Amino acid sequence: MRALIAAATGLAVALALVLTVTALGSPTGSTSPKPLLTTVPAHP
Amino acid sequence: MRRKAGLILLALAVFFATLSPLLRWYAFPRLAKIPANQYQDMVLEAKDATLLDYGTMRSKKVPEVTVVQTLKGNVEASEKIERTASRDVVVWDGLSYVQGPDGRMVSEIPERYIFDAHSQEPVHATGESVDGAPVRRDGIEFKWPFLTEKRDYEYFDAQARTTSPIHYKGTQEFRGVTVYYFEQTVPWTKVPFPKAMPVQGITPESVAKTGTTRWYTVHRFWVEPGTGAPVCGEEIHKEELRGGTLLGGRDKVTAFVGHVKMREDYIEHTVNLVESQRVLVLLMTSYLPWSFLILGALLLSLSLYLEARGRRPGDAAPAQLTEPEPVSA
Repeated sequence: MRALIAAATGLAVALALVLTVTALGSPTGSTSPKPLLTTVPAHP
Repeated sequence: MRRKAGLILLALAVFFATLSPLLRWYAFPRLAKIPANQYQDMVLEAKDATLLDYGTMRSKKVPEVTVVQTLKGNVEASEKIERTASRDVVVWDGLSYVQGPDGRMVSEIPERYIFDAHSQEPVHATGESVDGAPVRRDGIEFKWPFLTEKRDYEYFDAQARTTSPIHYKGTQEFRGVTVYYFEQTVPWTKVPFPKAMPVQGITPESVAKTGTTRWYTVHRFWVEPGTGAPVCGEEIHKEELRGGTLLGGRDKVTAFVGHVKMREDYIEHTVNLVESQRVLVLLMTSYLPWSFLILGALLLSLSLYLEARGRRPGDAAPAQLTEPEPVSA
């Protein structure tokens, strides 16, 4: 019974971790103020 | 104590064994996405190109034609589309600015490319356009999906405004990176004149009145390292003006012929950038899932070993600490 509880705990923690990280995602940020280029940049 | 350690190891084994497929098949497809605010520029050059002089309407050899390509993520537009599309969307406002050897503009074509941030599939929404005209992309453009496969893809050509297959031609080594090589040929196609013409006073409408038409063909190569971000691209690009009164009785005039290649410093920069991104992609799709799976198996073995040792007959003695009560008749 204790082995079953230990396995279930491992499973639940892994699921919770992955679901939390994917739900958080990444911030979208804001549009870059840099213009669309009409001159040749000297370097990348 | 030994049994407690065994249980902790068992929990950890299940944790890592569960994490392995979840990371690869659940987290990666949701976390890997193009940022909505991405900004990137690229310079391509065509050495010894042929270019039309609109003043004389004659083609001439020029030492170099430069293409500056900018892609800028429009966050506000993507958020607006996401509200109705109910998926992560990226809106790229792009500009292909072509400059002649004298630094003057040859053409500039703006476009708006809307696509799914995870799969890179085109998303059809108001604003999808090339040079101000609505278009419908049925294939990828600029970028391949994450974990590019060894197969043909549908690729959108902004000049011809058509989608056609770009064929997988094999795997190669490029600057130390294993890449997939793709090729596409767009046959001679009648295309609209750009809205911004190189000579003041000439507009697409005024050219259309002369009956002259613009034709275009391209043979395109892309090399892609499996991450979705191409590290090198080349185009054999040809444009002609055909018919009409503008050509002074000639059937056709070459407007542009050039082998357009990414500038060397941009190739180096892209290779370095893509190599670091490739490690991240491999970390989530291969290195970590396999490591977690192996770790899970090792921890499970250790846990079973401890459990087995805890159950050996010699260790069973401590369980009988209390002696049985003497039975009296």
